[in-house]
Amino acid sequence: MLSIRHLTARIGETEVLRGIDLEIRAGEVHAIMGPNGSGKSTLGKVLVGHPAYEVTGGEVLFQGANLFELEPDARARAGLFMGFQHPIEVPGVSNTAFLRLAYNKKAEAEGRDELDPLEWEDFIREKIRLVEMDAAFLDRSLNEGFSGGEKKRNEILQMAVLEPRLAILDELDSGLDIDALRILGEAVNRLMNPDRALILITHFPRILEMIQPDFVHVLNGGRIIKQGGKELAHELEARGYDWVKDESLAGRA
Amino acid sequence: MAQATAEGGLKPAMLGSPRPGGWDLFRSSAEQRLEGVELPGQGEEAWKYLDLRPLWELPFRPAPPSRVEACPTILPEAKASRLVFLNGRCDPHHCSVAGLPDGVAFRTLVPGEAALGTVLGEEPAFFPDLNAARFMEGAILRVPAGCRVVTPLHLLFWNQGGEGCPVVLPRLFVHLGAGAEATLVEEHAGEGAYLSAPVVEVLLEEGAVLDHERIQREGPEAFHFATLGAQVAGRAAYRSRTVSFGAWISRQEPRIRFTGEEAELTLDGLALLGGRQVADTHSRIDHAHPRCVSGQLHKCVAGDRSRAVFNGRILVHPGAQQTDARQQSRNLLLSEEARVDTKPQLEIFADDVKCAHGAAIGQLDPEELFYLQSRGFSPELARNVLTYGFASDLLGRIAVPSLRRRLRHAVLDRTEGGAQLEGL
Repeated sequence: MLSIRHLTARIGETEVLRGIDLEIRAGEVHAIMGPNGSGKSTLGKVLVGHPAYEVTGGEVLFQGANLFELEPDARARAGLFMGFQHPIEVPGVSNTAFLRLAYNKKAEAEGRDELDPLEWEDFIREKIRLVEMDAAFLDRSLNEGFSGGEKKRNEILQMAVLEPRLAILDELDSGLDIDALRILGEAVNRLMNPDRALILITHFPRILEMIQPDFVHVLNGGRIIKQGGKELAHELEARGYDWVKDESLAGRA
Repeated sequence: MAQATAEGGLKPAMLGSPRPGGWDLFRSSAEQRLEGVELPGQGEEAWKYLDLRPLWELPFRPAPPSRVEACPTILPEAKASRLVFLNGRCDPHHCSVAGLPDGVAFRTLVPGEAALGTVLGEEPAFFPDLNAARFMEGAILRVPAGCRVVTPLHLLFWNQGGEGCPVVLPRLFVHLGAGAEATLVEEHAGEGAYLSAPVVEVLLEEGAVLDHERIQREGPEAFHFATLGAQVAGRAAYRSRTVSFGAWISRQEPRIRFTGEEAELTLDGLALLGGRQVADTHSRIDHAHPRCVSGQLHKCVAGDRSRAVFNGRILVHPGAQQTDARQQSRNLLLSEEARVDTKPQLEIFADDVKCAHGAAIGQLDPEELFYLQSRGFSPELARNVLTYGFASDLLGRIAVPSLRRRLRHAVLDRTEGGAQLEGL
């Protein structure tokens, strides 16, 4: 579904990705882990086309097409989604209207019918049940005045509405209490199916108890320095990141 | 000398017309103040950014009576609490005030019943003085002490342009007794070319609460010069929102004065401009007593070759301790040719106060644009949605649901690609 080959990128003068190779197939869950500043979030933002980053080399194929030939909105309509660590507040635009417009734009792109207001009501009620969101949040302005946890819940609601082929969730667990983490973790699990794939970007292994990864990649200094199965997450939980960094340095020496 | 005659078209046309009955003393002192005074020019500091030269050559005349078949706008919430003025004259056919509690007066002003000019003061000022000298019929809203009017009140000033450039001088006096509460929608609208110079005086006694929604959607060729004076007594709350969509050249001049302690003021404004529209807001808030709170959020969206001006003056007088005054001017420029001049002006003469002001002029936030794009919105759609959001944000605070919906629609109509945003 997604092939990343020798990807390098920079922000300003700083190289932040220094050669990433990653292969993600439908049905898989990948965890990208690593210490702060290792390039985890950058990788996600480069994939969805954040304008602050410049791709300097390598290529990315998404469902067989060159990802970097698509504008960010076209990537979204092609089925790529990123749940951000710090979602933006948009005053004056109601959450439900925003979600409906996003849904209808995607439906239009896929040649499906748009939902009329009544169908939309039924559709969105079901989705907010999935993330156990209070319906009052639908009528509020998009993310405005939402707590950190409420914003994360709203990101997963957007994911549930847009049903992406590949979702990238950046630090889903930050700002969430343990109950909210369980609810959103279960929601994400239910949104997964053999046609979809998931990339979890996380600093802490805690969330990987809720959403079990098939593969774990450790990033440091803009490179993947270790890869393994979910047992690697347990090892990182127990031992921290330093031993991986040491091992990697030793390997390169 | 040629210039003096050119500037003088409006005043001679009005003062040369017969003086309407009532308020003789009030009118003649306004006439005296107007002696030797001409239409404001850009040489005056307060009119520096507003070019009134388009008014020089126009053949002004007092607006003739006018008729309309159907009431141009109706708020379902105010079906039985509505006053309609056509070209400055009350039209009983379209008025209905059956739905008001006993003791509430919402009707044409009777000569002598209100001390006009006392709220505003008698400082010489061209447009208010012109209004005092020649207004036709006034409106009054009087709510007795302790009376809560739940039904919103709708006052529509509908103006019909025509031959020459008709001049309408709407006048409104609002008086809420102690502890009284009301919601008033004051709407100015019309079609064709005309000039309207309304004067509104608001007197709130101890603990009174007034929500005052002011809608300016005059015709696109019209001129609108509004003056608002309000006195807010102790523990009273005055919440006013002014939405300006219409007119070619318009100006809002609210002057609010606290006359007691612990009173509260909201003075919000939204101007949505396109074409060659010019909208100017010159506000003044006098914190003359301790522990009053004022909040002012002024927003402008300027597209095409339009121009917006904001000058917000807040005076915290000596002794007005523990004043809490906040002012923000936020402006969105949609084109290279649009222009905004904003000048917050905070003058503080007390030492124990909390005051904050800020002004921002800019384009849309790139992070917000990217966020919407990452959800599949084309760049164009994202821009339109954010523009709509910037403008409609303030409308969410409007107390009358049907008016809120109507104004949101009006914003959509003015937003590029608005049809796609139906339902936002």
